[in-house]
Amino acid sequence: MHPVIRLVNRNLTISLNMGFLIWQVIFPLIYIFVAGFAYTALIHEVPFANKRLDYPAFIASGMIGFNIMNSTLVSGIIIWNDRRHGMFEQILVGPFTRAQYILSNVYTIGIIGLVSAALITAVGYPLFFKSVEFNVLTIPLVVFASVTGSILFGSIASIISTRLKSSEGFNVIINTVFLFFAFVSTAFYPADGAPKPLAIAFYFNPLTYLVDVVRAGIFGNFNSVVELEMLALACGSGILFMIATKLLSRLEL
Amino acid sequence: MSCIEATSLSKSYDGIVAVDSIDLSVSTGKIFGFLGPNGAGKTTTIKLLTTLIPPTSGTIQILGIDAIYNPLEVRKRIGVVLQQPSYEPTLSVERSIEKYAMMWNVDRKLQKERVEELLLAFDLQDIRKKKNDDLSIGQRRRVQVAREFVHDMDLLFLDEPTVGLDPSARRSLLDYIKKRVREGLTIFFTTHILDEAEYLCDEIAIINKGKIIAVDTPTELKNKFGREKTIQIHIGQLRRDLSVLLQGINDYQIDYESGTIITIKSHSSEDILLKILQILTVNEIPIEDLSVVPTSLEEIFLTMVKNSNASSD
Repeated sequence: MHPVIRLVNRNLTISLNMGFLIWQVIFPLIYIFVAGFAYTALIHEVPFANKRLDYPAFIASGMIGFNIMNSTLVSGIIIWNDRRHGMFEQILVGPFTRAQYILSNVYTIGIIGLVSAALITAVGYPLFFKSVEFNVLTIPLVVFASVTGSILFGSIASIISTRLKSSEGFNVIINTVFLFFAFVSTAFYPADGAPKPLAIAFYFNPLTYLVDVVRAGIFGNFNSVVELEMLALACGSGILFMIATKLLSRLEL
Repeated sequence: MSCIEATSLSKSYDGIVAVDSIDLSVSTGKIFGFLGPNGAGKTTTIKLLTTLIPPTSGTIQILGIDAIYNPLEVRKRIGVVLQQPSYEPTLSVERSIEKYAMMWNVDRKLQKERVEELLLAFDLQDIRKKKNDDLSIGQRRRVQVAREFVHDMDLLFLDEPTVGLDPSARRSLLDYIKKRVREGLTIFFTTHILDEAEYLCDEIAIINKGKIIAVDTPTELKNKFGREKTIQIHIGQLRRDLSVLLQGINDYQIDYESGTIITIKSHSSEDILLKILQILTVNEIPIEDLSVVPTSLEEIFLTMVKNSNASSD
C-alpha cells in the first residue's frame, strides 16, 4: 500500500470518532430542520437569480458549503493534534516524507469535505428538490466547490495549527474564525437586502464563494459572477495551500 | 560491522552548539548506551541519527546508508521511541498498535499475531480496550514502546524509554530489549538511570555539553575512570578524638551518625587504610565492620561530567 494511502487510512481512523460524526450530522440538521422551518414564519421566500426559494431550501443548500467548512476545519486540526500528541515527529521518523504527510492531510480533508457535501445534499434534497435544476454543470460545480473549499478551509486550519503553540490560543482562534466564516456569509441569508457594509463583508469570506458556487450548481444559475467566484475560490485555495505547505515543511522538530 | 558511523557530527541552533563534532561507531547486534546530563545533546544526537533534523556539518552512515542523502531509506529500516510521548488519543491500546502496524505496512495476518504478542509481552492485555487518552503516563509509555516493536527493523533508537515506568515494568522492558538483541537487533539507548545502562549496555558513550567525553564498555569505564575506591570503617563507640589521632592522614572523612564511621575515598585507599588500621590498633580502638563500596557507573558518570565541566570552564 502506498505510504500516502496508509496515512490517509490512519487520518480517517483517528478523525472519524463518534463525537466528530455527531457534530457533522446533528449540527447541520438542526440548522436545516429547526432554524430552516422556524424562520419560515419570518422569511417566506428568498430571491435567488430568477427563482424564489423557500427558506428551508435556501438554508439546506447553504448548509452544504457550511458543512464542508465545518468538517475540513475540524479535520485540518489533525496537524495540531499530531503536534500536540507527539505523532507529527513520530510519523516523520517513520517511513514517510513530509510531502507524503502533507498530501495525506489534503486527501483526508478532501475526502471528508466531499462526504460531508454528499451527506448534506442527501439530507437536504427533499427540501430543495422542487427548485433543483439538474444540468451538465450541476455535479461538476458541486464537486469543484467541495474540493477547492475543502483545500481552502483545510489549509486555513493547517496554517493556524503550524503557527500556534498553546491549546487555549488555538481554540480561541479556531472558534473566532469559525464564527466569522459561518455567520458573515451567504450560507444563512442572501447578500441582497443585507446592510451594505455587511453585504460587502460577505465577499471577504471564502464561505460565501463556496456556498454561491454550490447553489449555482444546484439551482442552475451559472453566470459570469459565479465564474469569478470559482476563480477566486481556486486562487484562494491554491495560495493558502502553498502557504500551509511551506509552513508545514519548515516546521521545526 | 558498524550499524551507525558518525564523523565530526555537529548541530548548531542560532549560534548555540548543541552537538559539537562528535564521532560515533555502534557495532551491529549490540546495545549502545548514550548517557549525559540534561541538555548535554543526547536528544539532538538522536534526532540527527534518525534523520529528523539535518546536521550543520559531519557525516552519518546508518546501516551502510548515507543518512543525509537517503533519509527515507534509513527510516524504513529503523525504529524510534522518542523521548516525548506520542499517541493517538482517540484510539484504544489495541487499535493504536494495529494502526501503527498498518502505517508500517506490516502484513495483515502478521499484524494480529504481533499485536497479541506485544500486548502479552508488555502486560497490556487488561487495558487493551482502553483509550490512550484514559491511560496513566506509565501505561502510555508502555504502549508507545510496545508499538515500536510491531514492525521489522534492524536498528532501534530508544530515547529514555523507561521514564514513567514502575520498577517491574522497567525490568520487563529491559529484559525484552535483551531478548530482541539476542535475535539480532541493534539498540541505541539513552537513559538517565545509570543502573539501567550498566545492566543493559555493551558499550557506553558519555556526552556533555555536546562533546563525547568517553566511550567504552561499562567494565572498562570503571577500570579506567573508577580508580578511586571507597572504604568504610565502622567503629561501635563514639570517638570524637579520632580526628586528632588521624592527624597527618588525608582523603578520609569521619561521620558520627551511629557510632563512628571513617570513610576513605582515594586512588590509594588501601595505603590509607593500612595507616588508619595501625593507629586504631595502637590505640586499642575496636573495629566493628569494614567494607569496600564498589565503584558504580553513576560515580564515574558524575566524576566525568564534573571534570568535563571544570575543564571547559
